Amino acid sequence: MRVNPNMVPDILADMQQSQAAVNTALQEVATGKRVTVPSDDPAASANMVQNTIETANVDQYTQNVSTMLSMVQTADSSLGSVVTSLTQAVSLGTEGANGTINGSNLQAIATQVQGILQSVVAQANTSYQGTYLFGGTETTTAPYTASSSSSSGYAYNGNDAVNSVAVGDDMNVQVNLPGSQIFSNSSGDVLGSLSSLVTALQSGNATTIGNVTTAVSAALSNVSEQRVFYGNAESQLNSQETYLQQETVNLTSQQTSLVDIDEAQAATDLSQAETANNAAEAAAAKVLPDTLLNYLVPTQ
Amino acid sequence: MPDLTAMGGLNTSLLIGLQALEVSQGALNVTSNNIANSNTPGYTREVPTISENPETLSGGIVTGGGVSLNGIQSVRDELLNLQIQQQTSAQSSADTQSSALAEIQTNFSTTGNDIASTFSAFSSSLAQLSASPSSAAAQESVISSGQNLAESFNTAANSLTTEQSAMNTQVTQTVAQINSLTQQIAQLNGQVSQLTAAGQDGGTVEDQRDQLVQQLSQLTGISVTQSSDGEVITTGNGTPLVMGSQSYSLQTTTGSDGMQHVLDSNGTDITSTLQGGQLGGSIQIRDQVIPGYLSQLNTLASQFASAFNAAQAKGFDSNGKAGQNFFSVPASAASAAAGIAVSITDPSQIAISSNGTAGSNGNVANLSAALTNALPSGQTPSQAYASLVFQVGNDTSNASTESTAIGQNLTQLTNQQSSVSGVSIDEETTNLIRYQTAYEAAARIVSTIQQLGTVTLDMGSSQSY
Repeated sequence: MRVNPNMVPDILADMQQSQAAVNTALQEVATGKRVTVPSDDPAASANMVQNTIETANVDQYTQNVSTMLSMVQTADSSLGSVVTSLTQAVSLGTEGANGTINGSNLQAIATQVQGILQSVVAQANTSYQGTYLFGGTETTTAPYTASSSSSSGYAYNGNDAVNSVAVGDDMNVQVNLPGSQIFSNSSGDVLGSLSSLVTALQSGNATTIGNVTTAVSAALSNVSEQRVFYGNAESQLNSQETYLQQETVNLTSQQTSLVDIDEAQAATDLSQAETANNAAEAAAAKVLPDTLLNYLVPTQ
Repeated sequence: MPDLTAMGGLNTSLLIGLQALEVSQGALNVTSNNIANSNTPGYTREVPTISENPETLSGGIVTGGGVSLNGIQSVRDELLNLQIQQQTSAQSSADTQSSALAEIQTNFSTTGNDIASTFSAFSSSLAQLSASPSSAAAQESVISSGQNLAESFNTAANSLTTEQSAMNTQVTQTVAQINSLTQQIAQLNGQVSQLTAAGQDGGTVEDQRDQLVQQLSQLTGISVTQSSDGEVITTGNGTPLVMGSQSYSLQTTTGSDGMQHVLDSNGTDITSTLQGGQLGGSIQIRDQVIPGYLSQLNTLASQFASAFNAAQAKGFDSNGKAGQNFFSVPASAASAAAGIAVSITDPSQIAISSNGTAGSNGNVANLSAALTNALPSGQTPSQAYASLVFQVGNDTSNASTESTAIGQNLTQLTNQQSSVSGVSIDEETTNLIRYQTAYEAAARIVSTIQQLGTVTLDMGSSQSY
């Protein structure tokens, strides 16, 4: 059997192959990525499409959650002040209905309740980053403004609609209650009953004061009831935040396993590829120059 | 061979010595030609065919008749050549496809401007809009990320079309190269059959022809058979390219699809039957692979645009009007991806509201759902795109794996061919020594006979010893 005398193409191919392995290993170590183009791992590349989209979404959902948390907390603390104010109004009303208070003291209480009314109106018009919180989806105009045509003395400018904000792929959290449900509900009209209380205190009729105080008390219990919604929203958002943090970790680790290198493995691969390449080059340098001519003594 | 026996034994020896000198010279010529061509591509090593002359019977004694050089023979293995041609065609096709796909797939890698990245930016801009429906910045970002998404569709589609037309140009060029090669091969074929008819070895001419056939097999898949007129070369499908000394030119013409079609010498369209080689590879990419990708991209672009526009229509924009189309796509489905664009210009035209009030975000959920719900194709937009990415990646990786595998096969075959036909310097050096020694010995015979002749002639002279 005659042996292939021309080793050059073979040796060249071997060296190119080992050089290519060095290049690949070097590129992986340098970029930290195992997959840079789809052909490096088609399945991983396809999965990365979903991962890229999910990662961006989860980032945005996390921001949404934190924005919404602040907003819901603002609304909750506003309602907290309303509850305090109303509680105070109820005790002032009860004091006024006692019948033992003289006229000038009743006027002083009326002024105090008037102050409470002002502060409750201000709370009902709370805004967060330029958005009114209690106007339904009418977020750009103040929900409550003084109006002589309204029985309560205040007109509601908002609507009954609510907004739900995306905080997950299939998760929308309702983040507001319309003011009509909190402040001017049929079971308790906050502003109307407070206005009536002021009027009753000014007129000084103990029975009327007593009746109106009962109405304020009903409005108070309604606000307390409605306030539970914000507490629930807050805890929902908190648990979603925890979920999203976990999801971020999951997505990152999925990305790592899909396209990133195992550094120890990559370093080993690189040094193996280098060794193989050196060996191929050394062998080529040794074998190529050898022919019989090297060993023949030239004749005289 | 003249009868020299009458002139006596010495003359016979002289003649044999002369023949030996000539044969050694001839063999040295072959050796030096082999060494000279040891690095010539396509060169097939030659060996001298040496045989002994018929013996002569003189006075009851049989004497050897010396030696003669019958010819010079190239050492080649036709079967190996055929296998090498086939593998060369297959590899060249895989290489063409692999390099075209490598260019294509860069548009589908995560670069920040690819569809996956722009789609995710669009998706998160909608999520942001959900939290801040009245924020001008959030609205603006939906418009601009929508434009980026449309542009990445445009870029991907355009780069596919560009690659397709590059392949189309390559088809025309390759056909021209094939025609030029088949003409040269036909000419050499004629010369080879003349030499063979005269009982000679084709040698150099055959080497040249084999080299050209090898080049031809890089351009397209061929089938080579031997006939009385020389080699017959056809395409893999049987369209004749060369028959003996006659070559048949292929032609190209622009087809109804705007692409170059390949016609045989009778004008029959053989485009779809061509396989292997650069030509087969280019046609495969141009007519099968790229149209496949483009059609998926177009379906995705047009179905996604209508789904998103339908979601727009469910809501109201910031002016309280019913949502109008967000994306516009060309009427022709074939250019949906290349022509998709954002058709609204003002952020106030995004249908954010579900009830017409500016602060409502009720329709944003519908807009976001258009990104995650299944399209009429049965897949969600991201699934549809992911499966396209998988396909591109898989095709690219297969083409390059195939090329590597065939390359190894080809290396083995070339090694085998080289072990039959390649020049070994060691072998030639050894032969050089053999022929040199034989030449020196033959020269010694001639000089010895000359001395003996002088002695014989001097026998009758006056000089005495």
